[in-house]
Amino acid sequence: MSKIKVTDLYKQYGDNHVLKGVNLEVKDNEVVVVIGPSGSGKSTLLRSLNKLEEPTSGSIVVHGEDIAKKDANIDKIREQIGMVFQHFNLFHNLDVGKNIMLAPVELGKLNKQDAEKQAKKLLKVVGLENKFNASVDSLSGGQQQRIAIARALAMNPDIMLFDEPTSALDPEMVGDVLQVMKDLAKEGMTMVVVTHEMGFAKEVADRVVFVDEGKIMESGTPDDIFNHPKNPRLKEFLSKILAV
Amino acid sequence: MKRHSFTSHCVLAMACGLIIALSLFAAPTKTHAAEKTYEIGTDVTFPPFEYANDNNKYVGIDMDLIRAIAKDQHFNVDIKPLGFNAAIQAVQAGQADGVLAGMSVTPERKGTFDFSNPYYNSGVVMGVAQNNNSTKSLNDLKGKTVAVKTGTTGAQYAQSIQKKYGFKISTFDDSNNVYEDVMTGNSVACFDDQPVLKYGINQGTQLKIVTKPAAGTPIGFGVKKGQNQELLKKFNTGLANLKKNGQYQKILDKYLNAKKSTTDNHSFFGILNQNKVFLWQGFLQTLWLTIVSIVFATIIGVFFGLLGVLPMKFFQGLSTTFIYVFRGLPLIVLALFIYTGIPTLIGTKIPAFTAGVITLMLDEGAYIAAFVKGGIQSVEKGQMEAARSLGLPFGKAMRKVVLPQGIKLIVPSFINQFIITLKDTSILSVIGIIELTQTGKIIIARNLEGFKVWAMVALIYLIVITLLTWLSNWGKRRTKI
Ligand SMILES: Nc1ncnc2c1ncn2[C@@H]1O[C@H](COP(=O)(O)OP(=O)(O)O)[C@@H](O)[C@H]1O
Ligand SMILES: [Mg+2]
Repeated sequence: MSKIKVTDLYKQYGDNHVLKGVNLEVKDNEVVVVIGPSGSGKSTLLRSLNKLEEPTSGSIVVHGEDIAKKDANIDKIREQIGMVFQHFNLFHNLDVGKNIMLAPVELGKLNKQDAEKQAKKLLKVVGLENKFNASVDSLSGGQQQRIAIARALAMNPDIMLFDEPTSALDPEMVGDVLQVMKDLAKEGMTMVVVTHEMGFAKEVADRVVFVDEGKIMESGTPDDIFNHPKNPRLKEFLSKILAV
Repeated sequence: MKRHSFTSHCVLAMACGLIIALSLFAAPTKTHAAEKTYEIGTDVTFPPFEYANDNNKYVGIDMDLIRAIAKDQHFNVDIKPLGFNAAIQAVQAGQADGVLAGMSVTPERKGTFDFSNPYYNSGVVMGVAQNNNSTKSLNDLKGKTVAVKTGTTGAQYAQSIQKKYGFKISTFDDSNNVYEDVMTGNSVACFDDQPVLKYGINQGTQLKIVTKPAAGTPIGFGVKKGQNQELLKKFNTGLANLKKNGQYQKILDKYLNAKKSTTDNHSFFGILNQNKVFLWQGFLQTLWLTIVSIVFATIIGVFFGLLGVLPMKFFQGLSTTFIYVFRGLPLIVLALFIYTGIPTLIGTKIPAFTAGVITLMLDEGAYIAAFVKGGIQSVEKGQMEAARSLGLPFGKAMRKVVLPQGIKLIVPSFINQFIITLKDTSILSVIGIIELTQTGKIIIARNLEGFKVWAMVALIYLIVITLLTWLSNWGKRRTKI
C-alpha cells in the first residue's frame, strides 16, 4: 500500500525551477533515502511532503488526500507526519519535557499527565531519560536532535521525514542519532531520509533515490545504486562522496 | 513629476491611516451644559492683556473683561491659553469659539474673522535696552536687527518700514524671548504694542521706550467668520454695559498702571515654593498623558505589529503603511494636524487631551509596531516551521512558540519607548495642553526667570526618567531569567 504518492511535482521560486517533474511513491513501512548534490532540490522535495513548501503544480497524495490542493486540511495531515530538521529547531522558550508535550496537549491528543508519561517514555527511547527538566540550550547538538525526534514521535506519526539530521552534528554525535533512526526503521516506521550518510543508506534503506537538478535521475535498491550505478551524474556524485 | 506622484502617494496613505485611526479611536466628546460654555482661545502670555498671575490663574485686561462680560450676559467661559497662532488656528478649525488675545482688527483678518466692537486702541512703540543711548529713533536702525513677536501689530509695523530704514527682523513666539533678545544685545530694538511694552517695563524688564505710538489699530474679540454670531452679540452688549457702569475703566486702570509686585521671591527655592502646586499639576498632567498614551500606543502598536507578521499580503501592507506614515511624520506636525485638521474634517471639536493622546498613540504606536514586527520576525524561521510540522495551526504556533520568544526580544524596546513617550508629551504643549513644559512656559511668562524654571522642569523630567530607567533595567533582568 502506498503512503505517499508524488506525481509530476514542479516547484519554482520566481525564475528558479527547483523541482522539474518529480514522481515518487513511498510504501507502507518503507525507508527511502534521498541523496544528491547540494542545491539539487532534496530539501524542497522533502518539505513539499508536509507542505512546508507550496508546490507550483502536481499532486502529493498522503493518506489518500491530495495535500497540493488549496483546501486540504494540512494541519490534520501534518499530525501524522513527523519532521526532523537539520538544525533541530527545538523550541527555545520551553524546556525539554514541554517541547515534547506541547503538540499532543495543545491539539487535544493527550491530557497533561498522559503527555508527561509519554514524554518520559520517548526520552528513554532516545536515550535521554534524565533530561526531562533540562533547558534546551544546555544540550549538545546530538542530544538536541534526539529530543527533536522524540518531539516528532509524540504525535504518534506513521511517517517520519528527516532533512539531513546529522549534518550539523560533531562526528562523535552522529552515531547516537543514527542509532535512534535505525531503531525506528526496525520497528517499521515509514521514513523518507535526506542524508549524506552512505553507511546508513546501505544498511537501512529499502530504496535509494538520487536527485539531481530537480529530477529523480535514478532510483533502486542500495545495491543497485551504490554497486551498479547507471546514470553518469550519479557515478560522478558517488566518486566524489566516496573519495572524501 | 516624480516628486508630485510621491507626495500624492503619501497623502493617500496618510488619509488611509487617519481614517483607520479615526474610525477606531476618535470618539469626540460634546459637552452642553445648561448655561452655555464657550471656549476662548488666548495667548500664553501677552501682558497686560493675558498672563498667569502668582496663583497661576489667567488674568489681564482680556481675561477680566471676558469674565465680566460672561457674568453680565450669563454664559461660562473656558479659557484656553494656546498661544496666539494656535488660538487663531483653533478658532478657524472650530476647536475654540472665539479668540481674545489683544488681537488687532486688520483687513486681512476680517477675511476669516468677524470682530466685536473694538475694546482698546493700541499703537506700536520701539523699545531698546535701558543702557543703550545710541539708538534713539528709527534712523539709528540701519543694518541692525530688531526683534518682534509673530502675529503682532509690532511685527507688521516692523515689516512695513523695514525697507525704508534698512534693518533685519528676528521673529519670536512670545514676548519674553523678544525682550531677552534685546537685553542680551542680539537685537538692538523691539517693536511692540505700547501697553504691552509699558507693562513689561513696569514689571522690571530692563528696556525703555524711545518712540511715540505709531500705526494705531483697534483691538477686538474675534469669532470664525459667519459662526458664533450669538457670542459676538453678547460680547458687544456686555462690553457696552461695562463701559456704562464704569467696570471697563476699572479693569484698564488696574492693568495699565500696575506696578511690579514686590512679594515675589526670585531665588531657585522661592520660585519652586511659589509654583510647586502648579508644577505638580503640570507633572501629573504629563504623567497622565504618558500613561494613557502608552496604553493606547501599546494596543495599536501590538495590533499593527502582529498584522505585519500574518501570512497575508493585505495585512502586511496595512502594517507597513501604518508604520511608514506615522513614523515618518514629525510629532509636532501630527499633533497640529490632528488637533486642527480632524475637527475640520468631521465637524466636531475634540478636546486637546484627546487630540494629544491620539497623536502619541499613532506616533509611538508606529514605533512599537515596528519593533514588535521586527522582534517577531527575528525569531528563527525554523521555530514556526517546527511548530507547524507538528500540526499546530498558525495562531497556536504563534502564541505558544514564536511570540514568547519575540516578546523577550522586545521588552527592552518597550521600556525605551515609554521613556521616549514621556519626553514626547512635551511637544503637545503646542496644542495647549498644560503639561509640564507648558507649565514651565507659563511660569516664565510671569516671572521672566527662564533659566531657573527650565532647570526645575528639566530636573523633574530627569527624575521621572531615572525612575523609568531603573524600571527598565529591572525589566531587562527579569526577562533574562
Ligand atoms: N525559499 C526559497 N526561496 C528561493 N529559493 C529557494 C528557497 N528554498 C530553496 N531555494 C532554492 O532551491 C534550490 C534547491 O534548494 P534545496 O531544496 O534546499 O536543495 P538541497 O536540499 O538539495 O541542497 C536552491 O537553488 C535554492 O537556492
Ligand atoms: Mg537541503
